[in-house]
Amino acid sequence: MKRRRLLQSIAALPAVPAAAQSYASSPAAAGEMPKLGEAAADAVAAAVPRFFTTDQLSALRRLAGLMVPKSGDRPGAVEAGAAEFLDFLISQSNAPRQQLYRDGLDRLNAGKPFAERTAAEARALLKPLHEKWTYHPPADPFARFLREAKDDLLQATMNSREFAQAMSRRSRSAAGLGAYWLPFD
Amino acid sequence: MAKTYDVLIIGSGAAGGMAAWVLARGGADCLMLDAGPLIDYDKQRVMKAVSELPYRGFGKPDRFPHITQASEFDANMWADEQENPYTYPKDDPYYWVRIRAVGGRTLRWGRASWRLSDYEFKCRDHDGEGANWPLSYKEIAPFYDRVEPMFHVMGRNEGLPQMPDGKILADESPDSESVKRFRAACQKRGIPHTKPRRATGTLASSYNLLLPQALDTGKLTLTANAVVREITVDPGTGLANGAIFIDRRSKREYQVKARTVVLGASTLESVRILLNSTSARFPKGLANSSGLLGHYLFDQFYVKNTVVAIVPEARGGKGGRGLMGGGGYVPKFRNIQRNEKKFLRGYAWDFGSGMTPSPRYLPLFGEELLREMAEVQGAGFSLTTMGEVLPKKENFARINPEARDHWGIPSLHITHQYGDNEFAMARDAMETASQLCHDAGFQVLAAHSQMVPPGESIHEIGGCRMGADPKASVLNAWNQSHDVKNLFVVDGSCFVSGGVQNPTLTILALSMRAGEYILDQRRKGNL
Repeated sequence: MKRRRLLQSIAALPAVPAAAQSYASSPAAAGEMPKLGEAAADAVAAAVPRFFTTDQLSALRRLAGLMVPKSGDRPGAVEAGAAEFLDFLISQSNAPRQQLYRDGLDRLNAGKPFAERTAAEARALLKPLHEKWTYHPPADPFARFLREAKDDLLQATMNSREFAQAMSRRSRSAAGLGAYWLPFD
Repeated sequence: MAKTYDVLIIGSGAAGGMAAWVLARGGADCLMLDAGPLIDYDKQRVMKAVSELPYRGFGKPDRFPHITQASEFDANMWADEQENPYTYPKDDPYYWVRIRAVGGRTLRWGRASWRLSDYEFKCRDHDGEGANWPLSYKEIAPFYDRVEPMFHVMGRNEGLPQMPDGKILADESPDSESVKRFRAACQKRGIPHTKPRRATGTLASSYNLLLPQALDTGKLTLTANAVVREITVDPGTGLANGAIFIDRRSKREYQVKARTVVLGASTLESVRILLNSTSARFPKGLANSSGLLGHYLFDQFYVKNTVVAIVPEARGGKGGRGLMGGGGYVPKFRNIQRNEKKFLRGYAWDFGSGMTPSPRYLPLFGEELLREMAEVQGAGFSLTTMGEVLPKKENFARINPEARDHWGIPSLHITHQYGDNEFAMARDAMETASQLCHDAGFQVLAAHSQMVPPGESIHEIGGCRMGADPKASVLNAWNQSHDVKNLFVVDGSCFVSGGVQNPTLTILALSMRAGEYILDQRRKGNL
């Protein structure tokens, strides 16, 4: 698919469902194979969280909002469904990573649900993120969790459909296009 | 009835591809086997947005625990680690990074193309450590002269003894101000610096630069999806007479016959095939009378992003092309005179200007982080260290009969540790690079000296090292087995020392040289 057409399709998908596009196009010549438009699952449906507990997911959503807030027409992590995506990603990850996330979210919820913390209280809990970068991850698992969650939430936001749609309205170069290698036979 | 080929070539990357280019054009009837498929670039790749990928660019978790280079876009290109297992000591991970497809890793190499010099070929003469190669720079220079134009190598000749000049396209592009500042900081301390030197073109691979011409001769037959298990030997003569391979898709077994065998399956795969080629005559594996097959395995250590810095004047989008962009290379500069430092040998740097530093280096989050990310967009400067690794006998690969691949072929157990010399060198690289960045007026965000695990640089070499003495080496100066005269190993496994230079250009030159030697020996009736 050409770059311009792909960008147009990303921008157009939520507004014009695939079926409507098919009806709108003129009939193909006999013998010519049509190119049918399609919509990805997360453009038409909400993913069902399966991994974190309700409390953990609430904490992760709050953390997402603090890590990558919405700004103008640029979606933040909440709008990009980054917490819900990480529920899926971590569910498929190795056991140590799963434990790091579960323990980290439980620590955020300790004493009082993180989602109910005031902005000042929440920011105080995230203090380890102001530590200078070191090659080796911090020894404290909670600090390590925050460092990983910061990177993961940023990436999950910036690589989201919502982010691509917002950015493609601003710039042709912001959709994160790449050459995808199909599986070998 | 299958015929007997003049030459069987195993592997189609830099080593096998060049051997085929020489041998087929020289009139030898060649069969090339590659373990992977023959890809069709037009059909194999489609443009996609990262948001369309199932894992939003993260990739399927833990699919590639040892291939940090794999992204979700190109995941299908790398050798699957479940199908292709291997082992290593519990606390010393080895990262074995493979591509199994026609063209091999030349489909994805970094293209840096530096010649080795007599600082490598005659390293023992220089500092008393390790072993000399059984050939000199003067002997291989004519082959570098021919390989560089074939791969459209571009760079700048500087007349440095540790970085021999090449037959290269002149890179006359101007440097950005930030690059000039870093180069001036080097200059002040007597550290050499130059432009990058790389193969150019849309694709600089065996796939497009070697194999088409070899196939056009009509003398080369290419069979993809052929996973070689072992090289076979005539029990009477002790000479190699072909190979047994397994079809990648059907797992059906085949036997092919040839008068000469050229192995270019990549450093570790070639070692593996030879160790698996046991017989009554060669119970320790083929070409292993020295007992050194698989030993003296090494690579070049990498300290990725040794220094990440900001060019302060470029903050707030003020960089522009005049100030930011481009990059360069600092060739080895330590121990050019004997024993200058407390470690042996040296390291090189690749540096680049104009990138946006990763948010992980910024100790912020939320609005503050997003503002700072916008502020430093395009204002970054970073530098990666490539260091020389001393070849040691105790770094080696052996067969692990418990680790079998998808085709039932025993795989490798790889033992490779870096030693005090490498650690000392990495520390020196970090300290010196940080100082240079300060001298250039850059703001250092992060600096470290942590080497990536052995293997991750994808520059693994050694294991079938060359040498004049059959008791202390596997191959002679012509990449020919001391034990089996019609067996040649033309990939990186033949290296005796490696310097800091990316090995592909030297593999190409050595394979070309070995191919011409084979043609000459065939003409003389010696093969």
